[in-house]
Amino acid sequence: MADLNVNGVFIPLDEDGFLEDSDLWNEEVALALALTEDVEELTEEHWHLINYLRDYYAKFGVAPMIRKLCKETGFNLKKIYELFPGGPAKGACKVAGLMKPTGCV
Amino acid sequence: MSEQVRIPYVAREKELKDLYLPMVAPEDRPQTALELLGEMLKYKRSLKLYLDVCTHCGACAEQCHSYLGTKDPYNMPVARVDLVRRVYKQVFASGPSFLRTWDGAKAIDQETIDLWYKYFHQCNQCRRCAIFCPKGIDTAEVTIAMRELLAHLGMPSRFHAGIAKNMAKTGNNMGNPLPAVLDGIEFLEEELKEETGLDIPIPVDKEGAEVLFNPSSSDLYVNTDGFMAVAKIFYKAGVSWTLSSKITETANFGLFFHEPSMREHSRLLVQAGKELGVKRLVAGECGHGWRTWRMFTETINGPLPFPVVHLFEEVLGYLRDGRIKFDKSMNPEVVTYHDPCNYARAGDLINQPRELLSACVQNFVEMTPTKELSFCCGGGSGILMDEAMKIREALAQPKAECVRSTGAEILCAPCAICKAQLPDVLEHHKVDVTVKGLSDLMGRALIL
Ligand code: SF4
Ligand code: SF4
Repeated sequence: MADLNVNGVFIPLDEDGFLEDSDLWNEEVALALALTEDVEELTEEHWHLINYLRDYYAKFGVAPMIRKLCKETGFNLKKIYELFPGGPAKGACKVAGLMKPTGCV
Repeated sequence: MSEQVRIPYVAREKELKDLYLPMVAPEDRPQTALELLGEMLKYKRSLKLYLDVCTHCGACAEQCHSYLGTKDPYNMPVARVDLVRRVYKQVFASGPSFLRTWDGAKAIDQETIDLWYKYFHQCNQCRRCAIFCPKGIDTAEVTIAMRELLAHLGMPSRFHAGIAKNMAKTGNNMGNPLPAVLDGIEFLEEELKEETGLDIPIPVDKEGAEVLFNPSSSDLYVNTDGFMAVAKIFYKAGVSWTLSSKITETANFGLFFHEPSMREHSRLLVQAGKELGVKRLVAGECGHGWRTWRMFTETINGPLPFPVVHLFEEVLGYLRDGRIKFDKSMNPEVVTYHDPCNYARAGDLINQPRELLSACVQNFVEMTPTKELSFCCGGGSGILMDEAMKIREALAQPKAECVRSTGAEILCAPCAICKAQLPDVLEHHKVDVTVKGLSDLMGRALIL
């Protein structure tokens, strides 16, 4: 996939549009990634979810289980799909700069 | 399917390195492929037999959901194997050479190898064709062999290679490090307490436990209802059980494409069981994982000091002994059952899940065709790549029609791959049904 243009800086993406290097994430990058996921604007609720994912990722190096994500953000799955049409793994994790969860998911 | 359909990505150098697989330059691939095929024919007698005995009767063609769903003639089982057979006839088969050419023999080239990659990743290794072939040819076995060959040509799929790498590094396919696994387990214990008011433990590394339970890592990510149900069932039956911190994965992706990964995965579980001194290994909901445990683990890693049993066999024992009871009224919906290919055609699990279902749901309806004739979900053999979604949707088309015809509200599909594949593809085919594991349904009905 083409690199992500963030105010003239090019950030490499993999074929699925996830960051190749999650260390290159910042809030500007998140906004640009959100556009690739058909999310025009990042509201407070979006940030609430993104920040939770990033905190968990900083601590454990992976995304939290979906049930925990819902419980601790207070958003049910339907709400998460409203915020990120790609869903928790492929939408929210992408915008938060996490790796794509793999396996039987 | 349109020309734009994407096939699974090929692994890159970094994934190959992790699995100690070679990079082979494209111009060297045809020659290397011949050498690998020659080696394989020496020790895989079934492969040689299958290449020799096909009469091209065509009985398999209409029985393969991959052909029915894609309408691509190369997806007929016979045509798929012919992609190898034509090389085999040219180079390895016995008999006079004029006969071989007449038989459709063809020298190997890069195009052949690309066709192998493409069409051996559109076979779900479901074994349905084998039931109908008068010569007993099991195309799934050919696909397993050819994916192995492709891996040694530096061409496994990126998805499979990445998962095998995760497994080797963390003991689960998702690549979850132990602190994350333990965090998830602790959270689920709190959830169980909140839901039931009881202290239902999820023990880890408990020495001397009777049972080592091996879930799929997706049970600790998305399918948590099913996992919590298992904890409740062990609790109610009064069985001492444990997870292992070294392996939380029953889905053995090595089976699909890489025998060394498959062996190592099995070895890890057996070793964990020995170290903890358990009496049985109990495998969670996963079709091909179960096929590996039941069919290969004893041969490859044996002799085993304990049996490997499936969760359904284990729970059926509790039910028959009256150690647990279900309240069917908790599952009032119309429920149908999808036979995971590796349970019904490779793992001796057909009646056990049905006995459990009829004990825990009120309205069970059979699908047609069913049991050993059931169609694959289209995700079998780990065809779960996002990039191959168009292919996955086509592979799922025959199953979608079967599910639609039942009119069921709940589709019980007790396999990690089926659970990952079916919701997306059934939505695409506009079949309005909720996909659940059998554990989920048992958990809802269990009288605690
Ligand atoms: S049914 Fe068997 S013998 Fe007949 S074409 Fe298919 S693979 Fe060959
Ligand atoms: S194993 Fe299944 S998918 Fe593969 S050729 Fe046979 S019927 Fe088709």
